Amino acid sequence: MIRTLFALLPPDTRSKTTTHLILTVLSAMLRAGTAVALVPLIAALFGQVPKDAWPWVALLVALTVAGWIVDWLVARIGFDLGFGLLDTGQHAVADQISRTRLTWFNAQNTATARQAIASTGPELVGLMIYLVTPLLSAILLPIAIAIALVPIAWQLGLAALAGVPILLGAYVAASRIGRAANQGMMDANSSLTERIVEFARTQHALRAARRVAPEHSLVGEALAHQHGATRRLLLMQIPGQLLFSLASQLVLIILAGTTVVLASSGKLSVPEAIALIVVIVRYLEPFTVLAELSTGVEISIGTLRRMHSVLNAPQTNSGTEEAIITNAASIRLEDVRFGYGGDDLAVLDGFDLTLQPGTTTAIVGPSGSGKSTVLALLAGLHDPGSGRILIDDIDAASLTAEARAKMVSVVFQHPYLFDGTIRENILAGNPDATDPEMKEVARLARVDSVTNRLPDGWDARVGEAGTSLSGGERQRVSIARALLKPAPLLLVDEATSALDTENEIAITAALTDDSRSRTRVIVAHRLGSIRAADRVIFLEDGRIVEDGSIDELLAADCRFAEFWRQQDAATGWRLGTTPVA
Amino acid sequence: MPKRGFQGAVLRSFGAQDHEATVTDTEMLAPGFRRIWFTSATLFDEIEPAPTAWLRFWFPDPDGKDVEHQRAYTISEADVEANTFAVDVVLHEPAGAGTTWAANAQPGMTISLTSMGSSRFELPAELPAELPAGYLLIGDSSSVAALNSIVRTIPAEIPIELYLEQHRDEDKLIPLADHPRLSIHWVPRHGEESFAAAIEARNWSNWYAWANPESASLKHIRNRLRDEFGFPKSEFHQQAYWVHGRSMGKLRSNRDIADDAADYTAETAPAESDPIPTSATDRVSAPAPTNSKNQGAWRAQAGSRLMAPLRRSLIIAGIVQGIVTLIQLAPFFLLVQLARLLLDDAPESQLWRVGWWAVGLLGLGTLLSSALMFWLHTVDARFEQSIRQRLLGKLARLPLGWFDARTSGQVKQLVQDDTLSLHYLVTHAVPDAVAAVVAPVAVLVYLFVVDWRLALLLFIPILVYVLTMSKLVVQSGSKTSHALKWAERMNSEAGGYLEGQPVVRVFGGATASTFRARLGEYITFLNEWQRPFIRQKTIMDLATRPATFLLLIVVFGTLLITTDRMNPVDLLPFLLLGTTFGARLLGIGYGLSGLRAGFLAARRIQVTLDEPELETATATATDTEAASGLVEFENVDFSYRPNVPVLQAISIRLKPGTVTALVGSSGSGKSTLAALLARFHDVDSGRIRIGGRDIRELTAEELYARVGFVFQQTQLVHGTVHDNIALAVPDATRESVENAAREAQIHERILRLPQGYETVLGPDAALSGGERQRLTIARALLADTPVLVLDEATAFADPESEYLVQQALNRLTVGRTVLVIAHRLHTITGVDQIVVLDHGRIAEVGIHEELLLTNGRYRQLWDAGGTVNPTATMTEETR
Ligand SMILES: Cc1cc2nc3c(=O)[nH]c(=O)nc-3n(C[C@H](O)[C@H](O)[C@H](O)COP(=O)(O)OP(=O)(O)OC[C@H]3O[C@@H](n4cnc5c(N)ncnc54)[C@H](O)[C@@H]3O)c2cc1C
Repeated sequence: MIRTLFALLPPDTRSKTTTHLILTVLSAMLRAGTAVALVPLIAALFGQVPKDAWPWVALLVALTVAGWIVDWLVARIGFDLGFGLLDTGQHAVADQISRTRLTWFNAQNTATARQAIASTGPELVGLMIYLVTPLLSAILLPIAIAIALVPIAWQLGLAALAGVPILLGAYVAASRIGRAANQGMMDANSSLTERIVEFARTQHALRAARRVAPEHSLVGEALAHQHGATRRLLLMQIPGQLLFSLASQLVLIILAGTTVVLASSGKLSVPEAIALIVVIVRYLEPFTVLAELSTGVEISIGTLRRMHSVLNAPQTNSGTEEAIITNAASIRLEDVRFGYGGDDLAVLDGFDLTLQPGTTTAIVGPSGSGKSTVLALLAGLHDPGSGRILIDDIDAASLTAEARAKMVSVVFQHPYLFDGTIRENILAGNPDATDPEMKEVARLARVDSVTNRLPDGWDARVGEAGTSLSGGERQRVSIARALLKPAPLLLVDEATSALDTENEIAITAALTDDSRSRTRVIVAHRLGSIRAADRVIFLEDGRIVEDGSIDELLAADCRFAEFWRQQDAATGWRLGTTPVA
Repeated sequence: MPKRGFQGAVLRSFGAQDHEATVTDTEMLAPGFRRIWFTSATLFDEIEPAPTAWLRFWFPDPDGKDVEHQRAYTISEADVEANTFAVDVVLHEPAGAGTTWAANAQPGMTISLTSMGSSRFELPAELPAELPAGYLLIGDSSSVAALNSIVRTIPAEIPIELYLEQHRDEDKLIPLADHPRLSIHWVPRHGEESFAAAIEARNWSNWYAWANPESASLKHIRNRLRDEFGFPKSEFHQQAYWVHGRSMGKLRSNRDIADDAADYTAETAPAESDPIPTSATDRVSAPAPTNSKNQGAWRAQAGSRLMAPLRRSLIIAGIVQGIVTLIQLAPFFLLVQLARLLLDDAPESQLWRVGWWAVGLLGLGTLLSSALMFWLHTVDARFEQSIRQRLLGKLARLPLGWFDARTSGQVKQLVQDDTLSLHYLVTHAVPDAVAAVVAPVAVLVYLFVVDWRLALLLFIPILVYVLTMSKLVVQSGSKTSHALKWAERMNSEAGGYLEGQPVVRVFGGATASTFRARLGEYITFLNEWQRPFIRQKTIMDLATRPATFLLLIVVFGTLLITTDRMNPVDLLPFLLLGTTFGARLLGIGYGLSGLRAGFLAARRIQVTLDEPELETATATATDTEAASGLVEFENVDFSYRPNVPVLQAISIRLKPGTVTALVGSSGSGKSTLAALLARFHDVDSGRIRIGGRDIRELTAEELYARVGFVFQQTQLVHGTVHDNIALAVPDATRESVENAAREAQIHERILRLPQGYETVLGPDAALSGGERQRLTIARALLADTPVLVLDEATAFADPESEYLVQQALNRLTVGRTVLVIAHRLHTITGVDQIVVLDHGRIAEVGIHEELLLTNGRYRQLWDAGGTVNPTATMTEETR
């Protein structure tokens, strides 16, 4: 965690970090000084001439004031570092996200990344000042006091020094035990909770099935099981919660005992012994601080861990080659293997596919057959686990991320627009495009009917994530954006939800009327978009089972033909009419 | 700069910002009620206008003295973009500084104002179900601006009772905000008690009260609302807006008002002799004697009801924890004792005795706290078990509509996070809170007993801390809410950025730039917000350091000792315990904060446990002739919220074995109507009968043996494929399960699963949407209910299996009475009956051909393309 922290600190603050450290040490020394100055001070107060204490009081005042000044500086620098941490930390995470392999973003990791951006800010600011500094001084101060005690009463000093690792050990052990016990509790709870959540989530189905009585459901069982498990865990919790306070009280008794023994054997005067008892209490104080910080430490460790896991997420591979292709390219997938999770769950294995320049290919097949995966591989969103993707005989893996991105343009199922105008969003496809070029693709994608409707026309804002537009309108803007990008390969992932007529026309136009010379691939769900293709590939379980023109495949009267007929029948389906065998 | 008195000085020391405002326009809204428009270049940089937000104006002295008078006025309207705002001023007699200035205000005049410490009205941001049952608003002409702003914020379906005290006849001419469920009561003032007495004595359970009347009236209102009606503190906001017979700016605290009571009771004496108003035209009821009838119950108090069975245990735990805390402090006391003995040159045996005491107490403390912890955990385990059981029982009896109104996240919050918070409340929060309070109090008492002068001194750093802290809180005021907004915004921005990654990767540049810009702005905001506080925070930190306390103790201790006013031994307790006193005292707030989260959780759980359940009414007719597939809706009315009808006067007959389609644009109520048949909610009036029996008279068991449903959202339970299909018929044979699967076109797909019918389906089983649909259809086939409610959207949710789902549906509908929610008209042209709904009423009934000819609503829908944006409709209507 400390490494993550240092990695996040901006590089130009190294010297500040060092100053911060040095000043923190200095502050601990000054505070130890005040503690030890108490010895002669108290001895004088309890001695014959209490007035002798005044010079020591003056010293104590001086040390305290010096301590304030140093701490003031420490706070300043700490905050500066905190703000630096905020700045670099947040940006580092954002940068990293744009380079992380997309397969990494499962539900949990996405949530982690989201938190790492959205809710760590204020925490990072205070990290140094509220956590690192107090933690550091809580550890340094007792050591400093113990060392300062050695010249006064070496037995006591050594005992105090020995106490440091013991107390720190107890602290660490206590929080370990606590964490383990908590984890155990959570685990025991989580299966039960999962059952209850499911019980609530599937309430409709359970009611309809008359299975809501707890004894008829899995949840009743889990509840009974849980009760046993908790009791056992209870016993585990207790030592963790007592260990530290037990240890610190013991250390107090031992040190006080030592002092008394030294006093009664005449090695220390009584006033000195009393003063030392006060010093011992001061020596123990920082450990209490440590215990109080523990919640904060847990939270911050959580924050750092989140940032760490984002920062160390697997990155996309990219090469160094800069190649630019502007005309329709040939594409070859050679022996490609790819899976989202473990290797045994490959979606594609030994996958070969060649696309001739300038052709339009439709990929069709049942859901889960790997259509979208093929598209994502072509788009460079995923890297093949093994095998190669060649674009005009250039290995895609050898390209830089920028060059790779230049090769493709994509119409996504879920178009993401950014909060800007319609014009800006379309121009994202090609910032150098001229106005007529932009308007031409917009016309093809039927965006003009949108801009005609809106009072601000091309300069209408699309709202956050495009929410001012309807789903269909967003889709059309994204089609225009993709058409405008001068990439040799255009990929279209057709939306599964029912499209309105305008959108179907826009998709077809994107495939047929686009004047740019390029190779096109569409993952198609509907007959309309399939018709626009010169070639159809039927995928099933990650394999190409049929490949040819529509007519050829229809003539073959196999999987695709059946699919085609079903689609045809589905469009004319009417409820409540006699089943078609 | 004229003098602004003590308040002005305090405000300034808190860093209150002065703004200059210039009058742009004035308008008499009613006699003696003037609206003044201002423009201010800087005000909206600091604040955001919110309902009831008010400003402190500094008015010149009407007699020309060199002082300024501070008066509060509410922002009645504001335009942040244009930097303009208005206040509505009552021009009352006798006039004070505010009235005098306002009466003479002319465009071009300027005034200075500050916005410090303004209150704001906010609706609870949680579930709609958590909104109060109604709002009781109380005030007079001076608070009309504030109350109007509240009225405008309250959702249309929530009732509002607005009580206004009428001081002058013209008051009634003041324009009030509109609200569909607002009832207004003007109450003429007859002394200070008349207003309180006029508030209706009724059950105000779950209402929220907001009161801004005159000060003396408020006193009586407070008594009535709190003591008589039982309003809890958290549901009752109160602030007097003026004081009869006194100027507001100079007089603030209630104690002063009480001291001064003589002043104005004298003035109102005549009215007082006639306490019961006779001339009141409005609804006025005599003050009801305090009786339990009017004592309401509030959700806000639900938490304590849930915890009631634990109260005794928790009190005992608190006491034991208190003892443990004292024992933990004992070593310090013993150390002082030890020092005394050393000074007295006591024999060694006595020293040893102290040592043994220390060890003994340590052992005792450890033992006690282990025992306490173990016991609390046991108590908690039992409690939690019973809560979970009650929750489960509740979940099984709530109307299904309850689940539709909540996201799965909210349900999860309830059963997972909230029960966990309860666990912390019982096992940790209570002992922590007790320890946090007992320790500093004990230390304080001890130190005061030893030497009160020195003990008092310890409050200096605390005072510094508190002052700095409150200054900080005030200064960060509006920024804190900005910060919350930013956090929310960044959360959605981050979500968008993550979701948009594929797009960002392919298109780069511009697509990512807004996110980057937003991130930059956020960081800038945090910087600007926090940086100015570094100094204060450092001061607070340094002031409460042990070193600071030590310094005070040593300097003053030495002073007292050297001047012989203190025994040196008495300094020891301070040196041992006084240095951490600050930290301990400040720890109280922290220790108590744990309780809050727990109580909120307890409240949410209890509120759920209090939700009304579906009851089974006693049967009126058990034997009926009617066929089991006959469904009748008779004059059904339904609404989710009172007075917002969703369905009205619905009567339909579904003949056994026929298909009836519900048609209508989104919001027409078709999904709700279908849900009623499956008893997701209960009808408000009328009835629904299946096979001649009112569905409310059927037990859940009986009902769902008759009605089945297939909606777009599929629910698979954790279990095997077989179990999922056989959910309603647990002892079904494999053969019948397979038959159902075959009929539902899913058999072959199941065979391709790793373990076929024995494959365990998790919540995210690797089945596509269409496959899950077909699985649920197989389930419905096996359950074989005579009546079926169906959502046609199921048929096109997944384009690849559209055809198969349709085939499965064809099988499912054969021979059943079917009620289908239709989204695409061409799919229902062949059904037996089409019911066209419009705004919750039946517009037309008939078959396709007839309806086309009638040229009515159906014809309109058909011509409009026959689809009503199916996907959007679905999600919206099933909510
Ligand atoms: C948070 C807050 C918001 C407020 N918002 C508004 C607002 O939007 N519009 C508004 O008109 N007032 C509002 N008030 C009330 C206003 O501040 C007081 O009425 C204030 O006393 C008026 O100051 P003044 O200088 O005119 O009279 P003062 O010098 O305070 O008093 C002079 C005399 O007038 C009497 N008096 C004071 N107020 C009234 C009154 N309302 N009716 C009859 N007699 C009165 C006093 O008892 C006194 O005898 C608000 C008060 C508060 C605390």
